[in-house]
Amino acid sequence: MATFKLDGKEIAFEQGDTIIKAAWRQGVEIPHYCWHPGLSVAANCRMCLVELVPGANQRAMMLDVLVWDESKKDYVVSRKPKLQPSCQISAAEGMEVKSESSEHVALARKSVQEFLLLNHPVDCPICDQSGECKLQDYYMTEQATSKRMRDEPNHKPKGVSFGPTIVYDAERCIACTRCIRVCEEVIQDPMLDMRERGNLFEIITSPGRQVDGHYTMMLEWVCPVGALTTSHWRHKGRVWLLRGTQSVCPGCATGCAMFVDVDPRENTAFRNRPRENDQVNQFWMCDDGMLSYERVYKDRILSATIASERAKSADAIRHASALLSKHKGRLAVVLSAQRSTEENLIAATMAKALGADLYVTGKAAWDGDKILRNSDQNPNRAGALKAADAESLPGVDALLKKASSYDCLLVLGEDADVAPEAIKALAGKEIVVLATHWQGAWTAVANTVLPITVWAETDGTFVNAKGVAQVFKRALTPTGDVLVGWEALTKLAKGAGADTGFQRMVDLRAALQSRGLEALVAKKLDGVHPSTGAPVSTV
Amino acid sequence: MAGTIVIKKPKRTLADQSYVVEITKGLGVTLKHFFKNFGQMVTGTRPDVTKFNYEDGVATLQYPEEKKPYPRRFRGVHRLTKRSNGEARCTACLMCSTACPAQCIFIKPGEYPEGHPSRGHERYAVEFVIDELRCIFCGFCVEACPVDAIRMDTGIHMTALDNRADFIFDKEKLMSFPSQDGDFETSNTRVEPGDKAHHGITREQGH
Repeated sequence: MATFKLDGKEIAFEQGDTIIKAAWRQGVEIPHYCWHPGLSVAANCRMCLVELVPGANQRAMMLDVLVWDESKKDYVVSRKPKLQPSCQISAAEGMEVKSESSEHVALARKSVQEFLLLNHPVDCPICDQSGECKLQDYYMTEQATSKRMRDEPNHKPKGVSFGPTIVYDAERCIACTRCIRVCEEVIQDPMLDMRERGNLFEIITSPGRQVDGHYTMMLEWVCPVGALTTSHWRHKGRVWLLRGTQSVCPGCATGCAMFVDVDPRENTAFRNRPRENDQVNQFWMCDDGMLSYERVYKDRILSATIASERAKSADAIRHASALLSKHKGRLAVVLSAQRSTEENLIAATMAKALGADLYVTGKAAWDGDKILRNSDQNPNRAGALKAADAESLPGVDALLKKASSYDCLLVLGEDADVAPEAIKALAGKEIVVLATHWQGAWTAVANTVLPITVWAETDGTFVNAKGVAQVFKRALTPTGDVLVGWEALTKLAKGAGADTGFQRMVDLRAALQSRGLEALVAKKLDGVHPSTGAPVSTV
Repeated sequence: MAGTIVIKKPKRTLADQSYVVEITKGLGVTLKHFFKNFGQMVTGTRPDVTKFNYEDGVATLQYPEEKKPYPRRFRGVHRLTKRSNGEARCTACLMCSTACPAQCIFIKPGEYPEGHPSRGHERYAVEFVIDELRCIFCGFCVEACPVDAIRMDTGIHMTALDNRADFIFDKEKLMSFPSQDGDFETSNTRVEPGDKAHHGITREQGH
């Protein structure tokens, strides 16, 4: 692979890469605001300027400048090389680039930083971006001097509502136009535009429009400063009190990689944010995915019920496993495309041992699009099939047709992709449901309901529609009488006399691996601080 | 035996063993101080309790009826300072609760309602609760505050209360304490949103 030199270090690049992109791929950051690896190049922030060393027999492009001479107490004429934006210059074989090692670059960055902060309100104490703000980061690394301008800074509109989810602060904005480019290139809906220039610029919504649709919270995420904030995280807490956990969106079969940001002191999830994964979602996520953490709290089942009576979880497991062993032979197990592959694996193994028929279900289809949202609302249909070692499995409609041949059902998850009224036909049977939320179709007809963890409360693997398996980790501690999903299933299997042999998560992962399911676990996480785990600014 | 330490039995004289002599001596010391204190009390010559490190004599403080005055910078119970319009200065930035080593400060931030002059510029504390039982009175919250909203200059020594719930001080209670000088605001100026006075200018150049 072709290489160029950045500060003496060899950087490999692909044909057509810009300097900044090639360096970013190697984990070397050149300070930048307007450049984003997933967007087109605007080159308007001038933060990523680098010095290009002229090749042999080439003359450097030089500029005449005035430099303060302390001994003469006057400005003297001097020369400096013309710096180039590294986001726009294509890397070339043998090219020599100076970034950290050039004094001219250091001065340029310091000056750009000072310029961007001229009219900045510096209201970091109440700004929701602070802690993951590029202005703060580069102030510390590149500038670290106090403000020299003694005039009143420009005042512009603050707290402007751009729509139901996005709030704009013009004083904090640095006009990098990332949000405008996201609207045009990723969302393909030009909702935003810019007006005026110089220090009067302002981001505005397109005439007659507001920021709405399925992809709005992403705008906040690409904003490198605190100009765009979401109404969901705005004024809720501070970034540094959160801890980011590697997770996968449970919203649809795309399975976007993301972080769940949790305040560990309160055991509360405050937001989701996209995690970079070039095989799945690149840098983006939809609003429903960003808000999927809200499912952890809404309508949760916190204690077990036997025949609509509240019961202890341990008693409910005993009761349920007695039912399963009693109805051996006239039993059906319904896997869930909503639950992790590990849980489906235990359920499928148990079904095999008990001689039960397998079905699979999940949420009904929703409106997909060509950007990220898959029309299958279930994050793990492929994983459930993989766990059952089957090409395809019949759904609930097939189960309803064969209903007379079963006395007992073990159902994973509360969702069914048929109308809740149709499920009522099964009401006379002994139905054991492992569920998380009350609003599901199965809980209405269940004999025994076991409360289990949602995806954020346990480890697991989702396999998306493309077949990419991704691991998600536990972000929250389960509350109430809630059982860890896969542990509840192993206990149930043991009680029913169909011990699956799985005792730990590693056993489950090994079994999945032997079936050729290699799950992606991000070793190095870019979005969290390496020692504290707190969210940090990425691209 | 090697390593054994032999402790000698103390010798006791006949006077020691008789008990009466020693107890009389001890009572003598007590009575000496009693009559000295009593005499000072009657004649009004008792040393000043605030200076008892410097003056001779025994100073007995009739606590809690009498209290030794605390120094001016004594860290007492917290107060939330007010703006000129009576609202709390606090902008709910959570710096104090971040700095707090005892994690005794709980703040729920919120956005000002539509039409409020501070909307968009600042946020405010919907709830501000300090658990005075957890507080270790280190003063980090006062140091951390960027807007001089929390102070420990009330001069109130946190005393025992009847039940634990009384130690949970909410925003209203914290705003009800004045400083030692009876002031609910602070001497530090505040720039209201829209004022044509930048912090940096007023502080460094005075114009």
